[in-house]
Amino acid sequence: MNLFRLAFLNATRNRTRSLLTAGIIVGGTALFIISMSWLDGVWDQILEEGTLQGGHIEVVTQEYRARASLRPQDENINDLAPVLDALRSQEGVVDAQPIIETGATLTVGEDIGDVFGAVMGAEEKYFTEYMDVDSKIVEGRWLKEGAGELVLGWKLAQRTGAKLGDEVILLGMTQDGSMSPSKGTLVGIARSGSPLVDRRVFVDLAAAQWSLDLEGGAMKVLVWGEDREDVDELQASIAALPPLIGLDTSSWKTLPPWGGQLGIMAAIRFVLMFMIAFLAGLGVWNTMMMSVLERTNEIGVLRAMGMTRPGAVFLFLFEGIAIAILGGIGGVVAGVLPTLYMSRHGFSYPESMLAKMEVPLPTTLYAQLSSEIVLLAFLTAIFTAVIGTFLPALRAATIQPDSAMRRN
Amino acid sequence: MTTRHTLTLILALFATPLFAPAQAFADEGAEAAAAEEMTVQQILDAIDANMVFESRTTKIKMTVEGKKRTRVFEMVSYGRGKDDSAMEYLTPAREKGTKMLKLGEDMWMYLPSVDRTQKISGHMLRKGMMGSDLSYDDMMTTDQMAKMYTPTLLGSEDVDGRPAWKIELVATDESVAYPKRVQWVDKELFIPVQQELFALSGMKLKSWRMGKIEEFEGGRQFPTWMEIVDEVKSDSKTTLEFGEMSFVVELQDEVFSKRWLERK
Repeated sequence: MNLFRLAFLNATRNRTRSLLTAGIIVGGTALFIISMSWLDGVWDQILEEGTLQGGHIEVVTQEYRARASLRPQDENINDLAPVLDALRSQEGVVDAQPIIETGATLTVGEDIGDVFGAVMGAEEKYFTEYMDVDSKIVEGRWLKEGAGELVLGWKLAQRTGAKLGDEVILLGMTQDGSMSPSKGTLVGIARSGSPLVDRRVFVDLAAAQWSLDLEGGAMKVLVWGEDREDVDELQASIAALPPLIGLDTSSWKTLPPWGGQLGIMAAIRFVLMFMIAFLAGLGVWNTMMMSVLERTNEIGVLRAMGMTRPGAVFLFLFEGIAIAILGGIGGVVAGVLPTLYMSRHGFSYPESMLAKMEVPLPTTLYAQLSSEIVLLAFLTAIFTAVIGTFLPALRAATIQPDSAMRRN
Repeated sequence: MTTRHTLTLILALFATPLFAPAQAFADEGAEAAAAEEMTVQQILDAIDANMVFESRTTKIKMTVEGKKRTRVFEMVSYGRGKDDSAMEYLTPAREKGTKMLKLGEDMWMYLPSVDRTQKISGHMLRKGMMGSDLSYDDMMTTDQMAKMYTPTLLGSEDVDGRPAWKIELVATDESVAYPKRVQWVDKELFIPVQQELFALSGMKLKSWRMGKIEEFEGGRQFPTWMEIVDEVKSDSKTTLEFGEMSFVVELQDEVFSKRWLERK
């Protein structure tokens, strides 16, 4: 008990030094909370947006999966109806949506031109609820299914010079490689800043099926479950559905671009945590070592009065922990307040920054504060203080009373 | 025959590249063949006598066997001289009314579903026509090939039990679609029954076989069946069957005009 009291008194004796140590802890803890909250928030938004548009599970043929990076036009789910029926009636499946993605040159006018666009065909629900393209219409309206209409991304509209009401000719390829001409009336122009919208042509599923000569089929089916993180069981259950046997049912966790990113993000998180803890620990070590050197005589007296070596170690450890607790509390306050602000108001960046992003991203990013991060930051502060204090404390324990007194 | 003409659209694909250097007549070739002492130039000349014509019309059935499905196209084809040819798709319904026109070195395709005409040029020329093993570039090839290849007689081999000459054609201009061709020519009929096409790297690009050779007006021998395999694509084969073929036909000028191409 005396050690605790003595440690507390020591902590208040040289207030400047103690404040410096506490300041380092405050800074480290606050930086920990802010950086981790940002990292978690941004990553979560990227994953949420990405899996909202890309599904939790992607159903394609095995042959498509083997060459997925090339987006093969000739590897499709030809008999879509039983696959969709099975998926939509499966427990745990929130929704399943068929998708066709192909390419075409676009023309407005007589001569077929050389403006290339990525054509996307899907049901209206996918476009409006998952991609939310209808909210990005800057001119005109969203297309009506079965009406021979299409919506162009803003960049494509610019490059072709297409105006609302124009007949846009799409010259693509069927799944067999034949030339596939089709046309649609331009009823809307969408703009998001991302090539995923601005360089795309949006048509209804039937038009895309005709273009690819894939009536009743789709290139892929996207599946959503209740929770994107808890998708393994759902994946196993749909893979066993009879119409899906032989098809590839990979979850987002293993598919690009997310598959490889999950490990990288975990590594970034760990490295960031380590660096903050290391720098804070270094600061604590430095000030505590100064404290030991300043108090060499005093430690010698205490040792002469009977203080054991472990007692000397604990004296400094308790002092370090006391400062760390105060610094940790201060750091939590200093970190939580700006994080709370950024989790509510977010950070918006210019649309132009999305121009080369091939993954869907929101234009406002929010921090994500969690009790786990706050607790982890506080515990890291204590741990850092213990580690940073331990070496100076060991040094204090090795001071011999006679040699300490001779220094005077 | 004072002016040599190349084949019409489809025959230009296969025959002209093979036989373009030919200069003489079939009977001359036959006599030389009997003597078994023909030069490679004489062989090519004899082939040309069979394959070259002034006008021709035919129906073509093109069967494209892909990895997952087989598609059948029916077309009617017209040829006039070395420069002009035209073709119209009759079936399937999706392609019905699609027309192709070749005038000299230029080619157009009329697409009825969008009422537009597409000029086939650049990279499009090397794409498979209707997803077949046959490229638009193959179709564009004319007797300019005579100036682009140097023939060498490699020897004799049997093809399907019949004796044939093996001839190698090496391009003098490396920018051509097929820098090297090897063909086997039936010694009796002067018809190339087999051909292999190679890239500059030596990779085999396509294999062609011709058969069901029939006799037409004036004793002309002509293949009515062709099989093309694009060796770069996997699990694909295209077969052409010619019917109602005639080499004595009066063709209207309008057929070889852009007006015909866009006529509904």
